Amino acid sequence: MKKYYSIARVLHLYFGLFISPFILIFSISVLVINHTEYFNKLRPKKELESLQTQLHAFQMLGTDLLTAKAIIQQLNISGEIDWISKTDSTISFPVNKPGLNKRISVNTRTGVVLISQQDMGTLNGMTYLHTMPGEHNAKLRGNSFFMQAWRIATDVVVYVVLFVSATGIFMWYFLRPEKKLGMFSLGMGALIFLVLMMLLF
Amino acid sequence: MTLHDLSRKLHIHLGLLLLIFIWLFSLTGLILNHGNWKFASFWEEREESIINFTVPDSVLKNPSPEARAMKFLKISGEVQLQQKTSEILEFRVQSPGIVNDVHIDLANGSGTKKVLKYNMWGKLRTLHTFNGMNKENPSQSPNWVITSIWRFAMDAIAIGLIIICVSSWMMWYKVRKEYKMGYVILISSFITAGYFIFWS
Repeated sequence: MKKYYSIARVLHLYFGLFISPFILIFSISVLVINHTEYFNKLRPKKELESLQTQLHAFQMLGTDLLTAKAIIQQLNISGEIDWISKTDSTISFPVNKPGLNKRISVNTRTGVVLISQQDMGTLNGMTYLHTMPGEHNAKLRGNSFFMQAWRIATDVVVYVVLFVSATGIFMWYFLRPEKKLGMFSLGMGALIFLVLMMLLF
Repeated sequence: MTLHDLSRKLHIHLGLLLLIFIWLFSLTGLILNHGNWKFASFWEEREESIINFTVPDSVLKNPSPEARAMKFLKISGEVQLQQKTSEILEFRVQSPGIVNDVHIDLANGSGTKKVLKYNMWGKLRTLHTFNGMNKENPSQSPNWVITSIWRFAMDAIAIGLIIICVSSWMMWYKVRKEYKMGYVILISSFITAGYFIFWS
């Protein structure tokens, strides 16, 4: 088994370096999500100037998503359409990117478009990434290239995390001087986990 | 002990300490992103029940009837008040995997408790998001002590992971001459992560 140590070390190092910026995104965003009020005070959201414009041509397409996509294409806006709401005379939807939320509202009779925008800041941008693609609106999710790429990136990061943790344990097994303290760390982690689960369930 | 030795120790032992949590959040993150995975379906498998009850006058006369009603109904968890008028009291009590929707008629004390119970997958995925925060109302903080403890644990895990990342860079920097590919990997990875945050 020990003959695999050097290869495990190289893989652990390179894969670990590869995922580290993503782990930072997830970790920092946890702190922002858990302490939203504090971070909102630190860097408040900024309302940007609203815009009003007119669509050259407007027609409802086969699905609301296709219609919304055609609208943002005409407006030269890119981003993920989070959800779509419709009335007799309007169709409105948010188009989001990390740190920038836009809300598009179209009068379907006149083709007049109102675009309101919010600069959410980089930290809130990270929380947006953390929660995406997420469990909600699964049928709609992934309607932009960026979100499709992010979906793949999050999956890859998780699988690499599992791989890196497995190689980490493998290497620790051969590190004699760290064995005792390592057993204590592992046991303490398991104990804390058990206590928390008993409290929660 | 040099800074390198310290970062190495921290990297190994924090990694081992947080191992189970890292696996938990990795697994639940995957489940949340893949709602179509059949093996982890929970909503279809949920157990629902409705219980009718009548609360005593002491509950109705209390300045915070929801707390007294929870004691009477023997439920605990994160409370979300949904409607409180002179006639009706509605609130939700959530703990991982269990949702209690309570409705009380304040005129006569009669009420119903709708209970939703999730399976193991439902419980696990709740752990990923269970922090007592309300996106619409950021000033709301957890009102169940267990939520506060879990949220504290989440913060500690996040800080631990940041330390693990920083220590990994320090350890690599020491051996950078033997592992030159590290430059390419780290820079390209930062550019990729930066694309998602800034340029997407």
